[in-house]
Amino acid sequence: MSDDRTIEADVGVVGAGPGGMAAATKLAAAGLRVVVLDEGQRAGGQIYRQLPNGTNGHGLMAEPPSHDQGHELIKSFEKQTERNVELIHGATVWDAQPGRLWFEHEGASRLLRCRHMVLAPGAYDRCIPFPGWTLPGVMTAGALQVMIRGFGVVPGKRALVVGSGPLLLPTVTSLLGAGVEVVAALEASSRWQALRALPAVALHAARRREAFWYLKQLSRARVKLQWGWTVFACEGDGRVQRAIIGKVDRSGRPRRGTERTIECDVVGAGFGLVPSIEIGLRLGVASQFAATRGGHYLVVDAEQRTAVATVFAVGEICGIGGAEVASAEGELAAASILREEGGAAIDPAVVARARSERRAADSMLRAFAPLPGLHELARPDTIVCRCEDITKLAAGQAAALHGESMRAIKVGCRAGMGPCQARICGPSLQAMATDNTACTMDLPVVQVPLKPVSSETILTAPE
Amino acid sequence: MSETADIVVIGGGIIGSSVAYYLAKLLGISTRIVICDRGPIAGATSASCMGHLMVTPDNAQEYALTKTSVDLWRGLHEDLGGFDYNPTGALYLAETDEDQEMIPVLHKQFADNGDQADVLDQKQVREIEPGLADDIPGALFYSGDGVVLPMLAAGAMLRGAQARNPNVIVRANCAVKGIERDGDGISAVVTEHSVIATKTVVNACGIWTPDIGDMLGQSRIPIYPRAGNLAITGHHVSPIRTQLLEISYLRFAHATSGVDPTKTDADSGGHAVNMQPQTNGGCLIGSTRQFRGRNKEVNRDLLRRSLQRAQRYVPGIAQAPIVRTWVGLRPYSIDNHPLIGPWDPVPGFWIAAGHEGLGISMAPVTGLLIAQQIAGMTPSVNVAPYLPARFVS
Ligand SMILES: Cc1cc2nc3c(=O)[nH]c(=O)nc-3n(C[C@H](O)[C@H](O)[C@H](O)COP(=O)(O)OP(=O)(O)OC[C@H]3O[C@@H](n4cnc5c(N)ncnc54)[C@H](O)[C@@H]3O)c2cc1C
Ligand SMILES: Cc1cc2nc3c(=O)[nH]c(=O)nc-3n(C[C@H](O)[C@H](O)[C@H](O)COP(=O)(O)OP(=O)(O)OC[C@H]3O[C@@H](n4cnc5c(N)ncnc54)[C@H](O)[C@@H]3O)c2cc1C
Repeated sequence: MSDDRTIEADVGVVGAGPGGMAAATKLAAAGLRVVVLDEGQRAGGQIYRQLPNGTNGHGLMAEPPSHDQGHELIKSFEKQTERNVELIHGATVWDAQPGRLWFEHEGASRLLRCRHMVLAPGAYDRCIPFPGWTLPGVMTAGALQVMIRGFGVVPGKRALVVGSGPLLLPTVTSLLGAGVEVVAALEASSRWQALRALPAVALHAARRREAFWYLKQLSRARVKLQWGWTVFACEGDGRVQRAIIGKVDRSGRPRRGTERTIECDVVGAGFGLVPSIEIGLRLGVASQFAATRGGHYLVVDAEQRTAVATVFAVGEICGIGGAEVASAEGELAAASILREEGGAAIDPAVVARARSERRAADSMLRAFAPLPGLHELARPDTIVCRCEDITKLAAGQAAALHGESMRAIKVGCRAGMGPCQARICGPSLQAMATDNTACTMDLPVVQVPLKPVSSETILTAPE
Repeated sequence: MSETADIVVIGGGIIGSSVAYYLAKLLGISTRIVICDRGPIAGATSASCMGHLMVTPDNAQEYALTKTSVDLWRGLHEDLGGFDYNPTGALYLAETDEDQEMIPVLHKQFADNGDQADVLDQKQVREIEPGLADDIPGALFYSGDGVVLPMLAAGAMLRGAQARNPNVIVRANCAVKGIERDGDGISAVVTEHSVIATKTVVNACGIWTPDIGDMLGQSRIPIYPRAGNLAITGHHVSPIRTQLLEISYLRFAHATSGVDPTKTDADSGGHAVNMQPQTNGGCLIGSTRQFRGRNKEVNRDLLRRSLQRAQRYVPGIAQAPIVRTWVGLRPYSIDNHPLIGPWDPVPGFWIAAGHEGLGISMAPVTGLLIAQQIAGMTPSVNVAPYLPARFVS
């Protein structure tokens, strides 16, 4: 069946974050027809998330220097959307084969046929369950960013920010920009562990500028970053009203006896990101595991090509690295495609930039490897799988009887079977249920649909 | 490592778990029972299926087997708990005139077994199940059927076995690699982790049952994988509260297949819709059948056909979010009846397998019958038609 629900493009791009935008902009500038599919309502992806009207939500919100580049990227991308790029927002990609992307858009089941595809679907938050993490008002750092930047909502009056890694700082500044008081910012890694990130930051001019900017914002608002602290529990009547915070040791294990109580009505928890690789696995792309890259990530060659012909991957899906990595890799993927299309050889500077951004990100993120001790924050009765209401105890019992694999835990107690398909609980579930200190996790088994879509969409999918 | 066991159960699906449970129940607590699975416990077909507890009245034999088993399920739920069990009853839905003619036939089959099902007209069908389309001409309602969540039920049975008998050992991720012989009989089971000296083995490996049989150098046990595609919705969206199936399902599923199961590319597959409400408000949608070896790739075409049938009967399902689709492999025996009993050429070797699309329903009675035979007790149900001896050449 071929009808107006099927569209054609030279290149299909999944995700309009920095990776997808950079690739699309360059491809379109060279005259290729590009269709970009994104679930969100505007271009920008996670980091440069915009309100539907194209602003970032809060008039007075200060932006870090890197966002200037982001705005440039969005501008040149949007200029291309008047010519060779079609951005279909509100599009959920639910199945993929080389050359074909099935998506749901405004209730309709549609198909994009393309000669090449660039996967840039980004990442999702790593959740660390602790008592009270399911209370209203407790959110992942990502969800907070979506609320503040994507919807312009002020989430509360007094916020506590906890977690580990470079995402803590933007979470704090977004809250400040929205006029929220940040009562404390807790980094679970110790100052000494974090110092390992120093060379990567110090040697990289843009990252150095960025770090200074954040620290200035924090000091201006008198927010002190507390190293080696995290949240032990959140409490409240119907929503979060206070948090119990405390010190953790170097592995992240809570040091009982160090607790303090802090009043707050918002908690943002950002314990890092996990690559959103499902679409790549569905296409048959190989993956590897590295804790410092956020878990399983897709394997690409030196020019962002996967081993599956016509499929390229860029940004967080190739390992957590940040916006600069994503846009550099996006440009590189575009250059590779252009060359395959008979264009010029790839500019070595483009390759070099992608590699150096990736190296800088890797060395920075090595300092913030997941801390296995944080899995001890959850109590036996703490919910670990929110979709199915499964406790830590039940997950542990499932592992003890059914086996220690992700699949065994899943069949043994239903954890990970709900609508999120283990995106939320998966990355910490297995390590937590089996006391695995390497924080490894089995590769998920991916099935259609990649994200929930209606029965009607599957039934009426164009071929 | 070497150890000994009185009985080794190979395969920790719903069938092996039930066998272990009834062995623990009927034999003394000094009996050492090891159950091993090469993967997760209840991770294969028993985690990729639906959980319809179905009483099949086709003939007195089958009725006795399935009715006994479905009744046992109720007791297991009361005794063990820990798994979802929902006595929803089942609606056999008619669409065409041919379907309509099957209603009185099925009704009579239940009656012939001294049981009862209700013939419903267009209006009555919707009273029992408001989620149905308003043009379903009629249906048969049987109140004795129910729904379980099989993976959790298998876990509950093994925990129940261990609670009765501390000498029940459960080993996940422990594949059986070989079986050592002592004359005609068995002397040990070789797993990837140890050698277990034993004289008694129960082969409950579902579609892999023939592979274990091959370790004994016997003629191949005639069990073949028969694929089924399934789709599950998100929570709290199920428009239905009763187990539904097209009445034509009986023609399609319970007859022996006209297709040669070894010719894996000859079968274009068939479908009859089967819809099952879940405790969390989700809805599980099946059910297709196709022989194509151990291939677990979803067949889009067949999946779509069952979604289409689902929508035909339950229009409200169209907008329900589907969160996952997958394929399960039913262990189909060549005459479409399970194998429950000894494999006579090898004393001490028992088979509990080949239940095709009824393994969840028949799990308790299968476990009970194997345990009774091993314990030298009189089986509660006539096992003669299910003895593996019918395949010994
Ligand atoms: C929640 C969150 C918050 C972050 N906050 C910051 C921050 O403040 N500062 C910072 O430096 N970095 C932040 N990052 C990291 C930053 O997102 C990345 O470095 C950068 O955006 C990566 O770019 P990308 O192109 O790989 O993916 P993204 O920017 O994540 O873009 C991916 C896009 O793909 C879309 N998508 C994914 N799957 C599908 C699908 N199946 N169908 C259709 N569309 C799909 C998504 O909606 C998204 O718009 C954050 C990341 C996340 C996940
Ligand atoms: C789509 C579909 C829908 C269904 N719907 C229903 C329904 O509604 N009602 C119903 O009653 N039935 C239903 N069934 C049928 C039912 O699921 C099966 O009959 C039943 O699960 C079979 O159980 P089993 O224990 O024999 O097999 P399995 O669950 O497959 O267990 C066999 C086990 O043996 C293990 N094994 C294999 N080789 C080895 C080895 N060498 N060493 C150790 N272990 C080994 C495997 O890992 C596996 O765990 C359905 C099936 C399908 C596919």
